[in-house]
Amino acid sequence: MSGKRTDTDDSTEPRTDDISEPEGSEARRAVRTDGGSDTRSDGGIVPQDDQAPTWSERKQRTQGLSRLTYEYFERSRREDEDLRRASDYVERDVLAFPTWPHEMIRNLAITSFFIGAMFFLAAAVPPHLPGPANANSTPAVILPDWYLYWSFGLLKLTPLNPELALLGGEKLVSDRVYGVVANLVVVSIIAMVPFLNKGAARRPVEEPGWAALGVGGVVFAFTIAALAVKNLIAATFPIGNHELFDVTFLLPLVAAFLAYAVLKTMREGYMFELNRRYFRLRPPK
Amino acid sequence: MSLERKDDYDHGAWMESKDLSPIEEVYLTALIWLDRRLRIVDYLELLEDMYYKTNLQMPKSHTEQYNLDNKFWYWYPLYALGSFSTIAYVVAAISGALLGFYYAPSTQTVGGETLRTVAYSNVLFIMGDLNFGLFLRSLHRWSAQVMTAAVFLHMLRVYFTGAYKEPRELNWIIGIVLISLTMVFGYTGYLLPWSQLSYWAGQIGVEMALSIPLIGEWVAQLVFGGFTLGEATLQRMYILHVFLLPFVVTGLIAVHIGIVWMQGIAEPH
Repeated sequence: MSGKRTDTDDSTEPRTDDISEPEGSEARRAVRTDGGSDTRSDGGIVPQDDQAPTWSERKQRTQGLSRLTYEYFERSRREDEDLRRASDYVERDVLAFPTWPHEMIRNLAITSFFIGAMFFLAAAVPPHLPGPANANSTPAVILPDWYLYWSFGLLKLTPLNPELALLGGEKLVSDRVYGVVANLVVVSIIAMVPFLNKGAARRPVEEPGWAALGVGGVVFAFTIAALAVKNLIAATFPIGNHELFDVTFLLPLVAAFLAYAVLKTMREGYMFELNRRYFRLRPPK
Repeated sequence: MSLERKDDYDHGAWMESKDLSPIEEVYLTALIWLDRRLRIVDYLELLEDMYYKTNLQMPKSHTEQYNLDNKFWYWYPLYALGSFSTIAYVVAAISGALLGFYYAPSTQTVGGETLRTVAYSNVLFIMGDLNFGLFLRSLHRWSAQVMTAAVFLHMLRVYFTGAYKEPRELNWIIGIVLISLTMVFGYTGYLLPWSQLSYWAGQIGVEMALSIPLIGEWVAQLVFGGFTLGEATLQRMYILHVFLLPFVVTGLIAVHIGIVWMQGIAEPH
């Protein structure tokens, strides 16, 4: 690219076809408006005047933000190209698995099967409609749908809400606020994961810590859901509310520890192969 | 000097000099005739461009590139979870639109009975009297359940295969917004039959909204239409469920899938 060229270069550069032109061409030049050479004999097709700025030159001359945008895009395009040149990424010499018909038929089959499964479920297990809303009688069991149990369970963290001695045993935030804030905290922790864990590692064995965190989180989602339905649990299993509360927090820790131990053990035998295959191709920074 | 336009591109003379077969001559004449009127070359150029774009060679997949001998085939079904949730969303949208023909979000009582609201009796009608109504409601409910389950499992798959990493942070966050909106979708739908469970789930919702610091009362007013449940609550849930959320969620799903399309699927190495 001619990124380094300036405006003055454009205007002062002597034109090469001027030099080679014979002396008697002044009169012809006066009526020539296109500026191109008309020595061609094949019907007067003339190229565009090379003094006219091209679109990229016009863009280069702009100022301010558009200029910066242009310069950045040029740089990134250049970077792309350099990376592509430096890469040893191999393209195959045959076309891939064809989209039509193979891939589309496969997708159609999977989609039909999936929709069919939903129709079957819907026909086999029809929904139950409870009695009409009655503001005067509170039902024994109040529950949202299953996917909100974890959130519902987080509302019941009352025993974890610290009582400050400074405030004379008062709580800094009410239990209800505490439950709502717990929801926000969980969601924002999940949202921050990609900003905390970077790098090329993909498999759980490569990062046992993060995999263990994930296992702990999944188990916690189940135990906190069990805490949300603690009266149902207490009716079914011989476990008191205090024990259930302890299990809610202990079980995820145990699961995370187990996952960590297992993955760390696997890693010993596993990373050799992985290193040999993978880091040889993409050396770690 | 005549005023007649000169033929700069004397295609006739050019054709004569070519010594063409009759078929070629007819073809060229038709082509030139059309091209002088419609500028087909421009479109041909577009077609040519498309041809070369669609016939680009596929790069190797990661399993091929890193010579993994397809050892990880058992991961691949999990890669369908995202598209399963999209399919379930489409099924829920269609069955929901059909259900919407027979439902009105009103807590007015019908037939003199104190508890029999319009919303509740509409659901009873759908389930009891409407042809295929029970199946329709069942399908709507099941597709919603399946969508939620698939979305949760999809998130786990993305976490454990590290697919959220560096260039894909934005899509992870959009995914979190989408999973939250899916749950809001489910919650607002849960309230619509105005049954006993709906009512008390709504009660918990109002209490949760009220316990948000500083803006709690404002949120309760906005989302639930007051501090106690009633006609306003049901109507707001209805509008959220059938008007607001469909637009927002469909748009976000499009962006989510568009980004996957642009960035490619992160396979485990």
